Amino acid sequence: MGYNPDMTHASLLSDLIDLNSALSTDSSADLDSRKQRDRRIGQDLQTLRARPARQLHGWLQQVEIPGWQRHGQTSVQLYHLLCVLLAVAGLVSGWGLARAVLYYTGAAPINVFNAIGLLVLPQILLLVLWLVSVLPWRLPLLSSLRAALRFLHPGRLARLVAGLFPQRSRQGLEMVWDADNAVVMAPAARWLLSFWSQLFTVWFNIGVLAALFYLIAFSDLAFAWSTTLKLDDATFHRLVSWLSWPWHSLFPDAVPGRELVEASRYYRLESGSLGGGSAASPALAAQLGGWWPFLVASVVCYGLLPRLLTLLVSWFRFRHHLGQALPRLPGAPELLARMNSPLVTTAARQPEHALTATAPDDSQPWQAPANATTTCTVVCWSDMPGSRELLTPGLRALGVEPHGWLSAGGAHSIEQDRETVAKLCRGDTQGVAVVVRSWEPPLLEFLDFIQALREQCNRRQPVLVLLWGGQEGVAAHDRDAWRLTLQRLKDPDLHIEIIGDAA
Amino acid sequence: MTVPVFAVVGHPNKGKSSIVSTLASDESVAISPVPGTTLEDREYPMVLDGETLYVLIDTPGFQRARAALEWLQAHAGSTVERADTVRRFVEQHRDDARFEAECRLLKPILDGAGILYVVDGSRPFGHEYEAEMEILRWTGQPSLALVNMIGDSDYSAEWEKALGQYFRIVRVFNAMTADFDKRVQLLLAFGQIREAWQAPLAKAVQALEAEQDQRRALAARLVAETLARMIVHTRERRLDDAAQADRLREALRTSYTQDLVAMEQQCRKDVEQVYNYKHLQRHEALVQLLDEDLFDSQTWRLFGLTRQQLIATGGVGGAAAGGVIDVATGGHSLLMGAGIGALIGSVSAWVTADRVADIRVLGQQLGGKRLRVGPMRNINFPYVVLGRALWHQRMLEGRTHACRDPLELTASPGALQVAGGAQRKRLEKLFGKLRKSEAQSPALLDSLAVEIGRLMQVTADTGTINKKSTES
Repeated sequence: MGYNPDMTHASLLSDLIDLNSALSTDSSADLDSRKQRDRRIGQDLQTLRARPARQLHGWLQQVEIPGWQRHGQTSVQLYHLLCVLLAVAGLVSGWGLARAVLYYTGAAPINVFNAIGLLVLPQILLLVLWLVSVLPWRLPLLSSLRAALRFLHPGRLARLVAGLFPQRSRQGLEMVWDADNAVVMAPAARWLLSFWSQLFTVWFNIGVLAALFYLIAFSDLAFAWSTTLKLDDATFHRLVSWLSWPWHSLFPDAVPGRELVEASRYYRLESGSLGGGSAASPALAAQLGGWWPFLVASVVCYGLLPRLLTLLVSWFRFRHHLGQALPRLPGAPELLARMNSPLVTTAARQPEHALTATAPDDSQPWQAPANATTTCTVVCWSDMPGSRELLTPGLRALGVEPHGWLSAGGAHSIEQDRETVAKLCRGDTQGVAVVVRSWEPPLLEFLDFIQALREQCNRRQPVLVLLWGGQEGVAAHDRDAWRLTLQRLKDPDLHIEIIGDAA
Repeated sequence: MTVPVFAVVGHPNKGKSSIVSTLASDESVAISPVPGTTLEDREYPMVLDGETLYVLIDTPGFQRARAALEWLQAHAGSTVERADTVRRFVEQHRDDARFEAECRLLKPILDGAGILYVVDGSRPFGHEYEAEMEILRWTGQPSLALVNMIGDSDYSAEWEKALGQYFRIVRVFNAMTADFDKRVQLLLAFGQIREAWQAPLAKAVQALEAEQDQRRALAARLVAETLARMIVHTRERRLDDAAQADRLREALRTSYTQDLVAMEQQCRKDVEQVYNYKHLQRHEALVQLLDEDLFDSQTWRLFGLTRQQLIATGGVGGAAAGGVIDVATGGHSLLMGAGIGALIGSVSAWVTADRVADIRVLGQQLGGKRLRVGPMRNINFPYVVLGRALWHQRMLEGRTHACRDPLELTASPGALQVAGGAQRKRLEKLFGKLRKSEAQSPALLDSLAVEIGRLMQVTADTGTINKKSTES
C-alpha cells in the first residue's frame, strides 16, 4: 500500500486522526448505506485507486458522518505548536549551554578543552547512539539499549507537554502513541519521537552557533587549552587535526595550526601564563581568538549538519510510516474495499418487516362426551395415505366412532368437494372428522370446504380436524400452523387434534 | 441485455422464502411456519454497481389452485390460447380476494419471469400439486423445479419423477445448508432455462465469487487486527502503596479479561457484518484466560522507564562523561573513565530513583510502582483465539441466510492445530514479533492477515479447522 509522496506529513497526520475518529463514529451506521455511500465516493476517486492514502484523503473531504468531530486540524496545530516549543527549547538550551561554556570575564581565557568536550564530543556520542537506536537489527542487547535510550530523546518533552493541553485538543494526537493502536502506529510513533528529538537538537546547535557568533561579534574572546593530564602540544594538535579533518581542505583557516596549539596552552600556576610563561600581549590575544573558526566548524560539522540530516531522515521516515499506517488503520481496509470494489446488492431494497409471532389459542380442546363416543363421518382430505384400519384405532382413542368414509381436496375437483359437503349435510352423524396430513399447510381452499360445510349443513355439530403426521408424527410447528390458520374461522365447534397412527 | 427475472412460486410453506433468503443473502426475508406469511410479491434484485443482473421475486403460495385451474380449463379454447387464458384469469380476478395469491404469483410470470417452482423433497408428493404445476405449464414460461430438502426424510426421487413431467430441469437444493458453491451452481442452472439469460447470470456469478473472495480477505484482516490487539493488550494501574496490590490485582485481571472478551465479540460482529449478518444471535463460550501464564507484575517506573532501564541510562550517561576523559588521555586511561563513569551513573540512578519518583509535577507523581496485567505470554493463546475465530468464520461461510437459529459455536474445536511446519513457523514468527514492541509494524498485520486468509481457505476446502493444513 503506497502513499502519495506529494502529501505532506501534516496532511497525513491530519488524515490519520480524522480517519480514526470517522471510522469510529461511522461504525454504528447502517452497513448497507455505508456501502452505497463509500462506493459512490470511491467511483469519484477511481483514479486514485493505486494510492490509498490519497484516496482516503479524498474520502475524508467528501464524506459526511452525523456526529463526527474532525480533530485532525486541531491536532496538527498542536503538533506544530509542540514543534515550535521544542525548537525554542532547543534554541534556548543551545544558547544557554554555549554562553556557559564560553563564559569569559577576561581574567582567564576560555578552555578549548571544555568547549570541545561539551559542545562537540557529546554530539558525536549522541549521534552514534541515535544510529544504534535506528538500526534495523533486533539483537537483544540493542533492544535493551534502545529502550534505555528512549529516555535520552528530547522528543519525550513534547509528549509530556502535550499532556498539559486539554483533552479535546490532544486526544487526536494521542492516538499516534496510544497502546491500542501500537501495532499499526508503533513505527510512526517511534519516528515522530525521533523527529522531535532531531528538531530539538538542530535548534540546540543553532542556539550554540548563535551564542558563539554573538560572543565573537560583541566581545573579544580568548581561547586557550589547559589540562592536568600529561598531554603534550603535539598530541593535542593531532587530536584537533583529526577533528578538523572533514573541513581541512574546504576551510583551512578553521584548522588550528601547530603554532596556535603551542601558543594557546595555558598554565594557571604561573599567574595565568600563556605561551610558555610570557605575558599575554595584544598580538597573542588576537592569535588566541583564532580558535573560533575551529569551534564553529566543529559545531556545524558534528552538530548541525548531521542533525539536519537525521532530522530529514526522521521526517521522511515519519511521513513514510504515517502513509503506511493510514490505509491500515482498523476499519480502513474495509473502507477501501467498499470504495474500490463493485457494489453488489442482492437483498430487497427495503427489509421485510419482522412478523409478530402469535401463539396459537388452545382454548377449544376437543372433549369427547364422558363414557360415550361421538359418531362421525370421516373425510380424508387430499389423498390421505394409509388405510381406514390404520386410522380407526386413533379415532376411537379420541372418542370418535367412524361412521362412513369420504374424501375431498387433492385430486378431487371442486365440484366433487361440493358433493362431499352435501353428503355430510345429509348424514346423521353427531359430528364430522376431517383427517389431514399435518405437513401440508392449511390452504384457503380447505377453509372454503369447512365454511361450506357450516353454511350448507345449517346445524352446529362438532368438526374435528385431525392432524396425521405419518410415521414421523406431527411436528409442533405444523400443529401451530394449523391452529393459527383455523383460528381465523372463529368457529367454537371446530377442534384440532392429533391422530395417532396404529402402525 | 435482457435482465433475467425469476418468480419463485409453489405451495405455501415449502421454502420459497428460504430459497430467496439464501440466494439473496438477506436475513430480513420473513420466514415463518405459518402459511401465507408472504402476502405480496417482493423483488430481490442482484445489482452490480447500478446494473441489475437478475431479479428474484418471492411470491405468495397457491391457495386455490384447483379452482383456478378449473376456471382456466373452462375458458381456454385450444392449447395455443392457454397463456392468454391465464392472462385473462389474472385480469379478471385482479380485485377478487379469492384469487389474490394466484394473481400475485402469476403476474410476474406473465410479465416474462422464469419460473422457479419450489417443493419440499422431505415430504411425499401429493396430488394437490398437480393443479399448481398445470397452471404454471399453461403460462408457457421457461421453468425449473427446485426440490428443497426441508426435513430429514428424502422423497426427492419420487418428486423428481413427478416434476419431470412438468419441468425440463429439476434440481435438488437445500436452502438451509447450501454452501456458496452450491448457490453459484444453482444460479448458473437458472441460465439453462433461457439462453439469453446465461450471460448476465455468468456475470452475476463472477461478481459474487469476487465478493466472496473479498469477504474472506476482509474477515482475515479483521481477525488479524483483533488477534494483534489481544496479544499486545495490557492493563496497568498505579499503586499508591504496597497493600493496594492484592486488592487491585483481582479487579485488574477482571478488567483485562473483559477487554479481551469485548475485543473478540466485536470481531465476531464485524466478521458477521462482512458476511451480511446484522442481527445474528450467537451461542459461544467466552474466551478463557490461560491463567497460569497470565503475566501479572509490579513494575517500578520513572519517566516511563523501569528501574533497570533507568540504571542502564544512568550507566550510559556516566560512561559518556567518563569517555570524554578517556578521549582526552588519548586512550592511556584504558577506558577507566568510561567504566568508572558508568558505575557512578548507575549507582546514582539506583540510589536516587525512588526519591525522584516521589516528586510531584503539576500534581502528578513522576514515577512509582505500577501493577500490570498482560500481555498474555502463553504461546497457545494466539492459537486458541485464532482457532475460535476460524471456526466462527467457517460456520458463517457455511451458513445460509435462511437459517434463523442462533449460531452455535459452543462445539468449537479449540486451539488451532497447524499441521504444516512452514506455516506454523511463519505464525510463530509473527506472534513472536507482535509480542515485541520494537518489532511491531503495520506490515506485520498484512502478513498475519495473509496467513489467516490461507488458513480460511484450507478451512473452506476441508470443512474443518484442524483437519489438515497446506504448505504454501
